[in-house]
Amino acid sequence: MYQYDDHDRRIIIERAQQFRGQVARRLSGEITEEEFKPLRLQNGLYMQLHAYMLRVAIPYGLLSSTQVRRLADIARKYDRGYAHLTTRQNIQYNWPKLGDVPSILDDLADVEMHAVQTSGNCVRNITSDPFAGIAPDELEDPRPYCEIMRQWSTFHPEFANLPRKFKIAVTGTPGEDRAAVRFHDIGIRIVENAAKERGFEVLVGGGMGRTPHIGAVIREFLPKRHLLSYMESILRVYNLHGRRDNKFKARIKILVVALGVEEFRRRVEEDWEATKTPELELPDAEVARVTKFFAPPAYEKLPASADQLTALSLGRDRELGNWIKNNVVGHKVPGYSAVVISVKMPGVPPGDVSDTQLDAIAGVADRYSFGHVVVTHTQNLVLPDVKTSDLAKLHAELVELDLGKANVGKLTDVITCPGLDYCDLANARSIPLSLEIAERFDRIDYLNDVGDVSIKISGCINACGHHHVGNIGILGIDKRGEEFYQLMLGGSPGNDASIGKILGAALPQDAIVDAVEKVLDRYLVVRESADERFLDTVRRVGFEPFRQAVYGDALFGAAAEKGAE
Amino acid sequence: MPPATHWVVTASFTDDGSNAYRRADGTWSRALAEAGLLTEEATGKVHAAQAVADEQRLISDPYVIEVHASDSKVEALSARERIRATGPTVPIRRPDSGLRR
Ligand code: SF4
Repeated sequence: MYQYDDHDRRIIIERAQQFRGQVARRLSGEITEEEFKPLRLQNGLYMQLHAYMLRVAIPYGLLSSTQVRRLADIARKYDRGYAHLTTRQNIQYNWPKLGDVPSILDDLADVEMHAVQTSGNCVRNITSDPFAGIAPDELEDPRPYCEIMRQWSTFHPEFANLPRKFKIAVTGTPGEDRAAVRFHDIGIRIVENAAKERGFEVLVGGGMGRTPHIGAVIREFLPKRHLLSYMESILRVYNLHGRRDNKFKARIKILVVALGVEEFRRRVEEDWEATKTPELELPDAEVARVTKFFAPPAYEKLPASADQLTALSLGRDRELGNWIKNNVVGHKVPGYSAVVISVKMPGVPPGDVSDTQLDAIAGVADRYSFGHVVVTHTQNLVLPDVKTSDLAKLHAELVELDLGKANVGKLTDVITCPGLDYCDLANARSIPLSLEIAERFDRIDYLNDVGDVSIKISGCINACGHHHVGNIGILGIDKRGEEFYQLMLGGSPGNDASIGKILGAALPQDAIVDAVEKVLDRYLVVRESADERFLDTVRRVGFEPFRQAVYGDALFGAAAEKGAE
Repeated sequence: MPPATHWVVTASFTDDGSNAYRRADGTWSRALAEAGLLTEEATGKVHAAQAVADEQRLISDPYVIEVHASDSKVEALSARERIRATGPTVPIRRPDSGLRR
């Protein structure tokens, strides 16, 4: 993985020192909250419902075991013994004291981490495919390009005050989008043109939030050397023309719609032609230098995994078999597999990992996966390079850690934003719904029968829980000070991207998980076969059967009525 | 008798971001139960503006909330302020599986 050079190290240490001074001035009253707020946000420090929250950047989700141990240490020393995995491959601490934050930043800087640009109207953490570098279907590892853009965007003076926050995602697997690139301000897909040259397809204007949009392709093929100059032109057009008068209309997606894709593209290309100076070109040597940091680890020469995987998944140990089927992912190197550690357990808020678990995960990563761990945007963790012959042993260790749940990609692997239990902007709670879902459907046979289905929950229209792209999406709304929920169906973040639509009237909290169950029960009845995924059934039969299942019932009708505007 | 509607001035303590409620004597408490109850929202707004001017070191972002007050308790009217007053409704530390350092 990337190692800081002297420049990286210096700017991060200096930033932490600067923030120490700013915090001291805030605590002494020398500066007001109004003056301090932009400073703390630039360092990832929010004020939430009950406490401060510090968001730590994890570039493209990749962590070393040393960093994981440090995150555990910080959770123990300065927080309440846990960290929370976010839907953008970062982590959050929910209870830091203001006076401790500078020391946390020092501790992070020590292991080449920081909280810079995890908030504010700037380029945020650049996200990617959690299986980058190891996926058998990958065309090219996207992480070197993520890293190059991380360096370019960090403290970029021209883009430090954009109209709104700006999110970029990159995938190197054109055949399967596991990074939701179509729902980012800029989505980048590594592609090959007719001449078999590699380059980038560039999408712009995707996003969720109040007005969800699927990103539009503005350039089908960008030669790699022009990556940064083209990014600059997109950001420059946005910076100049994006709205600053209304924060709900300030994201780039609104500008792309207002101008039209053609006009937006024209302006970008015009700026690009005028500004793409040689200094902005990516020299091959620089790409090669950064790529070296992502060189494959010292894999052993092993036989292919297929037979072992079949034997394990069909073996007598059913718990292990289900885990192999649901949580183990193919690897491009024979004899190796990627393991998704589910952080979705009954009784535990999704994505919360304790300090002791983090320490143990670091140990497991060292012993089984070359010391690397990846945070996924689905709030799970990946051990990318596990020998297939070690899977049974690893599974037994994860079970001991309460991290052995075999539910990845299944009904109880819910993406959940912090919601009204923590978030200052929330309308309604999200986590209790996830906990209820985790408990109610915690039956492996039912999970396997229902198959691949994603539930995504947001506590407000900001959509941090990605509800728009859930096969089943749940959105918390406020009705006269009370929590209600809209149920949406049909969303998908991948290559078959679609935005979910509302099924019917909002439901009160005590009815929403029942409604999910009714939808699923109806799916089991109307699907063509066990092979037809939930999403495909919804697309084939439409909403009516599900609407009837949820609202046809008198109880639900009455409950919905009560909550109607 | 139904609980009467009152107003309370709330904010966040600057040192740890926890809830602050303005007592009747102008000091700040961490407990909603100790908040000074106001019969006029406008009075709350005046107190909040004063707090911004005079007490910005101790507290941040004061604002006024509506509460129901009876003899036995003070309860915020909105779900948001109820949860804010009582803390997260979900477990706040992941239970460990007997694993100890
Ligand atoms: S979706 Fe809303 S409630 Fe959930 S974390 Fe984002 S801003 Fe907060």
